[in-house]
Amino acid sequence: MTRTRTPRTPKKPPSKGLRPWLGWAIKLSLVALVVLAGFAVYLDAIVQEKFSGKRWTIPAKVYARPLELFVGQKLSRDDFLTELDALGYRRESVANGPGAASVNGNTVDLNTRGFQFYEGMEQAQPVRVRFSGDYVAELAGAKGSKLSVVRLEPLLIGGLYPKNLEDRILIKIDQVPPYLLETLVAVEDRDFYHHFGVSPKSIARAIWVNGSSGRMRQGGSTLTQQLVKNFYLTNERSLSRKLTEAMMALLLELHYDKPEILEAYLNEVFIGQDGQRAVHGFGLASQFFFSQPLAELKLHQVALLVGMVKGPSSYNPRRYPERALERRNLVLDVLQEQGVATAEQVEAAKKMPLGVTKRGSLADSSFPGFLDLVKRQLREDYRDEDLTEEGLRIFTSFDPILQMKAEASVNDTFKRLAGRKGSDDVEAAMVVTNPETGEVQAMIGSRQASFAGFNRALDAVRPIGSLIKPAVYLTALEKPSQYTLTSWLSDESFSVKGADGQVWKPQNYDRRSHGTVFLYQGLAHSYNLSTARLGLAVGVPNVLKTVERLGVTREFPAFPSMLLGAGGMTPIEVATMYQTLANGGFNTPMRGIRSVLTAEGEPLKRYPFQIQQRFDPASIYLIQSAMQRVMREGTGSSVYNVLPRTLTLAGKTGTSNDSRDSWFAGFSQDLLAVVWLGRDDNGKTPFTGATGALQVWTSFMRKADPLPLDMPQPDNIVQAWVDSRTGQGSDAGCPGAVQMPYIRGSEPPPGAACGGENPAESVMDWVKGWMN
Amino acid sequence: MNKWLIPAVAAVALLSGCSSVQRGSIPVVDSGTAVSNSERISANGGFRQTTVKRPAQGQSQTQAIAQGDSGVVVMVPGAATTSTPISTTPITPGPITPGPIDTSPVQSAPINQGSYSMPSSPSGIPSASSGGLSADEQLDGPVLALLTTAQQQQASGDLNGASSSLERAQRVAPREPQVLYRLAQVRMSQGDAAQAEQFARRGLTLANGRPALQANLWELIGQAREKQGDSQGAALARQKAKVTL
Repeated sequence: MTRTRTPRTPKKPPSKGLRPWLGWAIKLSLVALVVLAGFAVYLDAIVQEKFSGKRWTIPAKVYARPLELFVGQKLSRDDFLTELDALGYRRESVANGPGAASVNGNTVDLNTRGFQFYEGMEQAQPVRVRFSGDYVAELAGAKGSKLSVVRLEPLLIGGLYPKNLEDRILIKIDQVPPYLLETLVAVEDRDFYHHFGVSPKSIARAIWVNGSSGRMRQGGSTLTQQLVKNFYLTNERSLSRKLTEAMMALLLELHYDKPEILEAYLNEVFIGQDGQRAVHGFGLASQFFFSQPLAELKLHQVALLVGMVKGPSSYNPRRYPERALERRNLVLDVLQEQGVATAEQVEAAKKMPLGVTKRGSLADSSFPGFLDLVKRQLREDYRDEDLTEEGLRIFTSFDPILQMKAEASVNDTFKRLAGRKGSDDVEAAMVVTNPETGEVQAMIGSRQASFAGFNRALDAVRPIGSLIKPAVYLTALEKPSQYTLTSWLSDESFSVKGADGQVWKPQNYDRRSHGTVFLYQGLAHSYNLSTARLGLAVGVPNVLKTVERLGVTREFPAFPSMLLGAGGMTPIEVATMYQTLANGGFNTPMRGIRSVLTAEGEPLKRYPFQIQQRFDPASIYLIQSAMQRVMREGTGSSVYNVLPRTLTLAGKTGTSNDSRDSWFAGFSQDLLAVVWLGRDDNGKTPFTGATGALQVWTSFMRKADPLPLDMPQPDNIVQAWVDSRTGQGSDAGCPGAVQMPYIRGSEPPPGAACGGENPAESVMDWVKGWMN
Repeated sequence: MNKWLIPAVAAVALLSGCSSVQRGSIPVVDSGTAVSNSERISANGGFRQTTVKRPAQGQSQTQAIAQGDSGVVVMVPGAATTSTPISTTPITPGPITPGPIDTSPVQSAPINQGSYSMPSSPSGIPSASSGGLSADEQLDGPVLALLTTAQQQQASGDLNGASSSLERAQRVAPREPQVLYRLAQVRMSQGDAAQAEQFARRGLTLANGRPALQANLWELIGQAREKQGDSQGAALARQKAKVTL
């Protein structure tokens, strides 16, 4: 400060007639004036520095995948409407203007809003979508022109917040909806366009009111003062702060014009609290309360938001709807009084409900599990400041509809299994991916999916039990000269001595041995004895190498117990491993992010799709076939109590010792899900893989309604007829003959044709063959 | 207390003269334009660039070459249609039995990221070209639209954009080998021969019964292997390309 400067006092001789204190008063006030002037210079520097620099830091915004629309797409009308609701589309009888939709039976007309994507701009346009069954049957544009593909704007699913947790969506003053500016001025500062930052009239009124009540009640602050207070000053209530505020308001008005000040106000004002996040500005408030862009708001919504400025927490429409409604209607009355809106408009607006998005709806949900994944992937490429300050736009593969279905499956299943003793302490994690693209679509890190904390999907390393078995069998099936799906395996008990002298003696889950079984049966029924024997025969290190080739980079010791899943993995690692099995032997690094744009919409970075072939498609074809048997006749067969038999699925149950972990990992053509249930303290649970995790998985698949698994048959695979009991070559007409896939050259020699058998008997034999 | 206000106002009025910038000429710099679901239409306004570190945009804008010299199958309007139809005889779909699939699937060839050059002349393989494709190579709807977009982006040198559009097409039609073929081509132009080969291989696993496309995929694998310094593998792949046709 410039206090040190000595004032130049005038050397006028004091008039004799005046009392001496007057001279002192003049001197003193001159000193004060200079000091004040210095202070004003200082304030002016602050005012300009902050206002003309980067006014706000903007947290990165994270978006879900945009919903693509095209003819032949699998999408139910209800899911589509859920998405539209989450995007804040208004339902109207005739869709008018961006963000409006009208529903007529199976036809939905809407006006998309347009969006800047990495690949370019998606224009706002009218679209007609007709559904037939669970498919899009027709897609048309304006005047019925055919459209080949349309993208909706993506749902905003969160941000990456800095420590002060201020969040906002910047808006420009020409993007505001009708009435907003008028309403704001009418309610908060009627003289806004006429004063110079402070309004003597309202100060006088405030003094009067406060003086008569003896307390600080009325602010008398202009919009400019409010802006100054929020932008530059603390919340302290004192006279000196009030004076500083007034001075700064004057200075601000001196340098900037009214629209600029108003725009800053619109972006600065605090309108609500969302957990730890402070909702600032009308842009974000509009998204937060209505899930709509600000420009689309109608009179009643504008009135609600402006009304909330006075007391964001006491007029919170979600917590105190009656109070908020009263306040909104009061604001509407003011508008009528001031001539901003007509009596009819106000009357109509008053009839409208509050219109805030419902709790628990898609628009009002948070997805901490998936956002955690996004954050971790971003931190590899960006500094924290870039993420929390630069307003980056992050485009992800997150599918909100699948996420809601996954969450519902966890909740429903726990509700259904609530009777089981100990189920209350059981936690859950889930990863949902698209095996054909390697993208993560949904993630649950906690039984309370909205709870941000320990993310079990990424961090819980738990023994995977029998989930390891496909790797054991795949290792064998890669040697077609030695192993086929119908090779015989012994399921007799045995023991081996490890390098450390410890004896390993595995047991079957039912503690019985099953004699001699076909190779695929060992996997389908998850027999430990035959699997362990097979694993020892092909070699534990080789099995671990297979695990690594499947995409899991974690190191495991080559103990025999690894063959039965003693090694621990996280659910996302399991998903990576099964992804390679599901995608024809091509490994894909899991991706949650597609691209990043700068705040200005410029492309910044892409996370490209990458694949690497790790296995011959033929051996993958065989292991998929065996994993289908798991579902048809093995430990996963309960899935078809709920799902139609036409839905081909492949998967594997996993249960660790004493049921401490309940796993299921499986896939259809277009959907892969891994479910883990267990306790954080690693205690026993009442669930096996089949009675716990599989139930969640089944419930999810029923809701998600995926496409049946259908891997194209590689050229070097042949289908051969074999006897279901002996595994010897047979003929299509023979009793008990079944078709099995083999890698060319490894199939048994064809059997002779059989005479006319009783067809009914052969069916019985066939069934018996599978029962053994 | 009003006594304080008067000098304050006076001082401000006094001092503003010397310290103010001109009204209306404020260098307003926001850290971001609006991001909500509506405002991004005007989001490309004249704002400054952010200073976020910008990862390298792929090594090779310079390599937007060599497209269309290798028998383009994709039927996209505006795509290179340089060669003539090879055969007018109908291709009989029947069971095709190409040789056993390459049984060493795991990447073994050393990946040579360094200096590589596209073959300057088209290889000796006759191109299966746009004109003479069997009906099943005709794409429609969303895939065609997206491949067309990608084609335009590639033509204007925007390989990242083309890549992005093709990945979008791949999400829409994950089992369409032509999309994978185009992705492989773009990866090749981006200088990523290893990924080009992988996408072509993935395409092959989905291209049963489409010999012309198979030949193109093998041809591309040959180029990719050449680039990675695996001339033996390249020769093998070119052999396959001939056999499949």
